[in-house]
Amino acid sequence: MSLTSPAERPPTATGPAGDVGGPARVGTRRAGPTRRRQGPLWLMTPGGALLLVVVVVPFVLALWMSVTDLDQYTLRQWAGAPFLGLGNYVEAFTSGPLLHSVWLSVAFSVLTTVLTLPLGIAAAFAAHDRFRGRGLVRSVFLIPYVLPTFVVGTVWRIALGPDGAVNTVLGSVGIDGGNWLIGGRTFWTLVLVDTWAAWPFVYLLCLAGLQSIGREVHEAVAVDGASWWQKTVHIVLPSLRGPLLLAVIIATLHHLNNFTLPFVLFGSPAPDEVNVLPIAIYSTSFQTFRFGLAAAMSVASLVLVLIPLLFYLRAVRLDTGLEKGAQA
Amino acid sequence: MSARKLVAVAGALTVAVSLAACGGGSSGGGGGGHAGQTLQVYLSRQASYPNEQQQWMQHVKDEFTKKTGASVEFETYSSATEEQQKIQTSVVSGQGPDIYEIGTTFTPTAYSSGAFLKLGDEQWNAVGGRDRFVPSTLAMSGPDEADQIAVPFSSLPFVLVYNTQMFTAAGIGGPPSTWDELVADAKKLTHGDTFGLAMDYKDPFSPWKYVWMFAQQYGNPLVQGTTARIDDPTVARAYDAYFGFLTEDRIVNPDAANWASADATANFASGKSAMFAMTSASVIPTLAKSPVANSYAFAPMPTVPPGESALPAGGVPATTIVSGQNLVVASYSTQQDLALQYVELVTSEAEQQHFSEVFGVLPTNAAAADAIASGKAQYAPVLEAGKQAKPTPFTGAWSEIQLGLTNITVQSLAGLSAGSVPPDQVQRQLADLQKTAQAAVDKAAAAR
Repeated sequence: MSLTSPAERPPTATGPAGDVGGPARVGTRRAGPTRRRQGPLWLMTPGGALLLVVVVVPFVLALWMSVTDLDQYTLRQWAGAPFLGLGNYVEAFTSGPLLHSVWLSVAFSVLTTVLTLPLGIAAAFAAHDRFRGRGLVRSVFLIPYVLPTFVVGTVWRIALGPDGAVNTVLGSVGIDGGNWLIGGRTFWTLVLVDTWAAWPFVYLLCLAGLQSIGREVHEAVAVDGASWWQKTVHIVLPSLRGPLLLAVIIATLHHLNNFTLPFVLFGSPAPDEVNVLPIAIYSTSFQTFRFGLAAAMSVASLVLVLIPLLFYLRAVRLDTGLEKGAQA
Repeated sequence: MSARKLVAVAGALTVAVSLAACGGGSSGGGGGGHAGQTLQVYLSRQASYPNEQQQWMQHVKDEFTKKTGASVEFETYSSATEEQQKIQTSVVSGQGPDIYEIGTTFTPTAYSSGAFLKLGDEQWNAVGGRDRFVPSTLAMSGPDEADQIAVPFSSLPFVLVYNTQMFTAAGIGGPPSTWDELVADAKKLTHGDTFGLAMDYKDPFSPWKYVWMFAQQYGNPLVQGTTARIDDPTVARAYDAYFGFLTEDRIVNPDAANWASADATANFASGKSAMFAMTSASVIPTLAKSPVANSYAFAPMPTVPPGESALPAGGVPATTIVSGQNLVVASYSTQQDLALQYVELVTSEAEQQHFSEVFGVLPTNAAAADAIASGKAQYAPVLEAGKQAKPTPFTGAWSEIQLGLTNITVQSLAGLSAGSVPPDQVQRQLADLQKTAQAAVDKAAAAR
């Protein structure tokens, strides 16, 4: 990875083409930094405007909604919905399903990430070295990841039904499969199905990491006579730390955000065991039409998402910091 | 999570606001008629009859142009979520279809938004008068006769379907008239892997209807004036009976804890259940292709609640809710007169009869209903049930109550499957729901 930050790159772009030597050139260089830094700023306008419309405006609207009593009665004159202050937040924390859902969502996300990690790493190790049919294996590994979540949910819902494929297979070896889609076991159903669908993401990032380890490193290790195990533990895994950290953070966020899978598997109202945040907010917003309350729940859960997000941002900044350090 | 949903809603709001600014809608209307105008109609997709629906749309377009000179554009939705998001966006922006087809149980929510045209005498006359309709279907038009927004378009009453061959074999004369009789019959019909009654405990819509029905029969309308009566003992008793079919009476296949309506229909169609309650004429296409094609009949569900030999004092002989689709005209529409002419057309006797024959639902037009009943004996009991249909409480709080009642069943499915639902669990949930429901009813009362 050799990223050059844009600010450092463009002397040729801003400087006159074919400018050769002499004091003039030095002058350009000196005046450059300020001019160059301001020059391309306007290029951010389209992106900035998009960000404003897609992120900032809706977020401000959501914040505003969360302090009003916006519901079916006030929707038509939504700008005049009564102001509630923190009323929605108080209701969400005291009488709503929010705390239970937060706990469920966190447990589900962390568990799923923890389960996908070894699967993804093992698959990446298996598919890294050259062998006959590697291309096919790599493609097959990606199938769960490229299937739309809706399809994954539907297929598993059918397979996990009382007379579905899973129970038929279990039955053939004398195990009574029982209920997967109702009752206490639903949480584990959700974890397992999402693990099935999500491990290739870890695999992808891990494989990319493996490929970025240079051939010369492998050769050096071979010359030193290290065993496969020594090589894995001391050379390969440490250099995978970056990609894996990213994978963990992004995957956790993704699981927290997953609405489609629990919705397709269990519907709404969902069993209490899988009433994760996205489902709870959906139900409040679109089944009981308490838009204000749902917005408050969303904002509150945003704080939750911010925690792994901050880690993510720190991890990303660490990366650029290293780049700068290397160039300085 | 939330964020994406939220962004979607907020985004919809933003887009809606900006669209509203450039709004307008097609006014015009050249000449004597409405030539050049286009009416937008938003209606549910008939998933089982895609080609028929296309033909029907073309037919209505032609008829409407012949009648008014204006044209019609149809847009369809395939889920309640899709429908509601469209309505919400349109309500916020004041722009969208002129006419919506909405379900009867969603009508109170739509009414409470104030976004639809109120129908006074003038408007009713424009669509052919109130007298044109089967009286019971008007019950979900509004909270009272002075405040109505919805015109009944199609009717789909809930009934009992039973296997005539199995009834004859067991020596049972006809459909039961009390729920205890139904249980007794079902016990006679249960042997081996064949059960007396198919149930759809895991259906997203069906469970609350049973609870509403039994509660009504016990004398509790669930919402009385501005009081929610969910914690009334009759509701707990309703759940008791509802779950008891499986856990106590053992007349239901234990797998039914995992069944939605389609699964229960399939089970009945395979001849593994002798009866299936809370179903409708919409199962006819499925049954017609099944082994029981020539051995089933419909009947209204019993009107005497479980554990009683006669309707208790104050009890209402309710079996089916007023079920089906209504038409509402958006209050932002700039061509409401034209919209009412469309409503007049599709609720006329000829069009209602045609629609009913194509899609298997029942007409709301009284004359068309009579014509259908005299043509097909099979439909007579369904029509009879429809005439006796009772409305659900017309309050903006109903969505919340309906969801809460269904939720109690959802949380009880595991217990059901294991063979017993702890009564204290239901009691606790009912107490919680009472609080939520009362708050929602208060809110609805304050908003009126």
